[in-house]
Amino acid sequence: MSTFELSRRSFLTRASAAIATTAFGSGASIAQTVPAPLNNVPEGAKFRWIDSGDQKAVFFKKFFEKYGEARGIDIIYDPLPWNEIAKVVPLGVRNNTAHDVFVLPRNFSLADAVSQGWVQPYDEFIPNIEEWKKGFPSGAFLPGINEFDGKTYGLPFTSNKRYASHLLYNKAYMDAAGFDPEAKPLTHSEFREAARKITEAGQGRYFGFIIGGSQLNRWADVVRNIGRIGGASAGGDGILDADIDLRTGEYVFDSDEYIAAIELLLAMQSDRSMFPGFINLNAPQARAYMPQGAAGMILQGPWNIPSWESQNPDFDFGLSSAPVPDSGNQGKLTISQGGAKPNTISLWSGSENGAIAGEIFHYLGTLEGQIEWANVVGAGDPPIMPEAVAKADMSPRSKQILNLFNDQIRVGPNPLVRNGEMSKVVAAYVAPDVNFARTVQGLVAGQLSGVKEQMSELKDRYNSALDAAFAKAKADGANVDRSELVFANWNPDVDFGAADY
Amino acid sequence: MRVLGTLRVHRFHYLMMLPGLVLAGMFVFYPIFAAMFYAMHDWSGFTAQKIFVGFGNFLDLFLDPIFWNAFGRSIVFLVGTVPLQMAISLVLAMVLNMQLLKLSTFFRTMIFLPVVTPVAVIGIVWTFLLSPFNGPVNGLLLDLGLVSQPIDFLGSTQTVMPSVVGVYVWKWLGITLIYWLAALQTVPDEVYDAARLDNCKGHRLAFYVVLPIIKPFALAILLISSVAALNVFPLIMSMTNGGPFFGSEVMEIFIYRTAFAADDGSIPQLGYAAAAGVLFGAVLLGLTALQALAARRTRMATAGTKA
Repeated sequence: MSTFELSRRSFLTRASAAIATTAFGSGASIAQTVPAPLNNVPEGAKFRWIDSGDQKAVFFKKFFEKYGEARGIDIIYDPLPWNEIAKVVPLGVRNNTAHDVFVLPRNFSLADAVSQGWVQPYDEFIPNIEEWKKGFPSGAFLPGINEFDGKTYGLPFTSNKRYASHLLYNKAYMDAAGFDPEAKPLTHSEFREAARKITEAGQGRYFGFIIGGSQLNRWADVVRNIGRIGGASAGGDGILDADIDLRTGEYVFDSDEYIAAIELLLAMQSDRSMFPGFINLNAPQARAYMPQGAAGMILQGPWNIPSWESQNPDFDFGLSSAPVPDSGNQGKLTISQGGAKPNTISLWSGSENGAIAGEIFHYLGTLEGQIEWANVVGAGDPPIMPEAVAKADMSPRSKQILNLFNDQIRVGPNPLVRNGEMSKVVAAYVAPDVNFARTVQGLVAGQLSGVKEQMSELKDRYNSALDAAFAKAKADGANVDRSELVFANWNPDVDFGAADY
Repeated sequence: MRVLGTLRVHRFHYLMMLPGLVLAGMFVFYPIFAAMFYAMHDWSGFTAQKIFVGFGNFLDLFLDPIFWNAFGRSIVFLVGTVPLQMAISLVLAMVLNMQLLKLSTFFRTMIFLPVVTPVAVIGIVWTFLLSPFNGPVNGLLLDLGLVSQPIDFLGSTQTVMPSVVGVYVWKWLGITLIYWLAALQTVPDEVYDAARLDNCKGHRLAFYVVLPIIKPFALAILLISSVAALNVFPLIMSMTNGGPFFGSEVMEIFIYRTAFAADDGSIPQLGYAAAAGVLFGAVLLGLTALQALAARRTRMATAGTKA
């Protein structure tokens, strides 16, 4: 077993380096090509692009540098965190100074962006666009999701098929604890036992499990996905339906599976297997502790893989599913149709650089562009074309996790596809202040007690919030009711296709 | 006509005031009026439509326990920091004001150093210092045998506010110290000489001679410190993000979260947040007015005593 000594200075130095690398690029060798000219690009134009960065920034920084140089244009790329995007993009649109290409704030649908006049279609900037679209997997372009009135407004170039709370673990610690999650996913009991044994072996130098507990979405992600794998058939990945069983239209917060997931966290907390001070760590801090050897397990996303492999080549880590139930069948995780919504990019309605955006969009939607994307970004934001995944030069770990996603994730129904007016409900929806993530945080950190009671009350709060959103949308003229959230023919174990609506 | 005459006579002075007035209009008055306008609307900040709701947002706020809890925490923070900060810095100022103290400049610099250090840096460094994992504060407590298990200072609702209060007082002690030192400079040397002749020293000198002289300054320092204690956004964001479970969510964090950072991906409520901001601003204004009134009464009382 490797010994571990973490000084504060070394942690700060390494964590800063890791965060800086994540934000500004790994510096890995990237041999990107520049797409052939497609449109008449005005020389000397200033073109601006904003997205949420992370591993994407590694690709775009290099790509924009080469592309801008080749086409004689100045490209400004702003990778920003989501809370900044939620301020910068709406403000830019209102002030007529928006970026030419942007991702939408997480809580704003493309349908709303179209209706509010934020974005323009890019069909005219991609010659023979229908032929180009055929290169995408079916379901990538959908009316109501990224197509409106026969025009294309969003580019879905990365896959939605991933989840943000699979297991990443320190192999040395796990071997010493006597478990092999790659051979067989850990059950709840084994997960708890592994955390306990790692903590015991660590003797205060390292701990069994770490989570970025100040970043609230981590709590919701972890419980939701353990609950879903446990068999709670919660819906897609939208704001409204993430925790609704779309067969019945009812929230599953108080299901046995969600409660079991929270009780697993509580059990590890009572075992003292969780990293001390986890409640004040954000996700990047928690992730940075893993390669330092300060914790044995984390439930996080695939974006750690390329980052750790390039920054910490000596860190021997393994990957597996989030904990599975001790007995019974495992459930599937559900995603919505279309590409990854957070990465879907659009062209600002006020942009005069549609020709440039069209060239770049076109390139990102070719097999060549997709392979180059996969070569750089890896499993963190996998390309939407399966062929690109197969041909890309990805690490064995990246391929391993994508195979796991293929096995565990299915496409579920999307209420927005069936009725586009549901976007008005999304726009009207205000989640309770004491929401799902906060409730789990409060329970694990000890500020709340009584899991069943809290989850039952949570369900009531969410039902009230959802009813209020429907009422507001109806008052706004939308023809919707809660039956829009019921897909009685949905089988969570198989993909829900266009024909199933 | 008289006003016009005054304007003509002092036109150069008014001209000099214009840049400041324009900047204040842009960055102070306009945001205040904009916030009042938005507070009357149901508006997410994303859409063009703003639905006029009159005082609806204010009524909702009055019924929102999360808002009142945040409001209460801001007051607790104010009450927890200001007296402590003023008392400690006053004692330090009196000690450092002694001309016999050789290293007073060095100590003043040391105490002032955190003031010029960026708040975010202070916040992040203190999270490491207070960490239950290898944090030096816990290390010291364990070594001294005062605790048997590390304390999660920022992870418990019982300890998070006292911890943040402590860091705040430490960070801003230097600025209050400078205010007190400036006040102490106004005490004439003759007063000290006279006190010395009367064999008045130590706490009697402080309480019966120095403090009554610098009392009017105390009100100004109290006002400045109180307003500052209600502006703690960067410190709390960098230390706790308002957590755990709202445990350190003061008004500014509440407003920010409601306006921009709905943590579950739901739509922000800019109108509601603006209403909270207006209400909180009104409370601050009331507080300032009360203190101004108290200052005026003190001045009048002092003038009366002298008469």
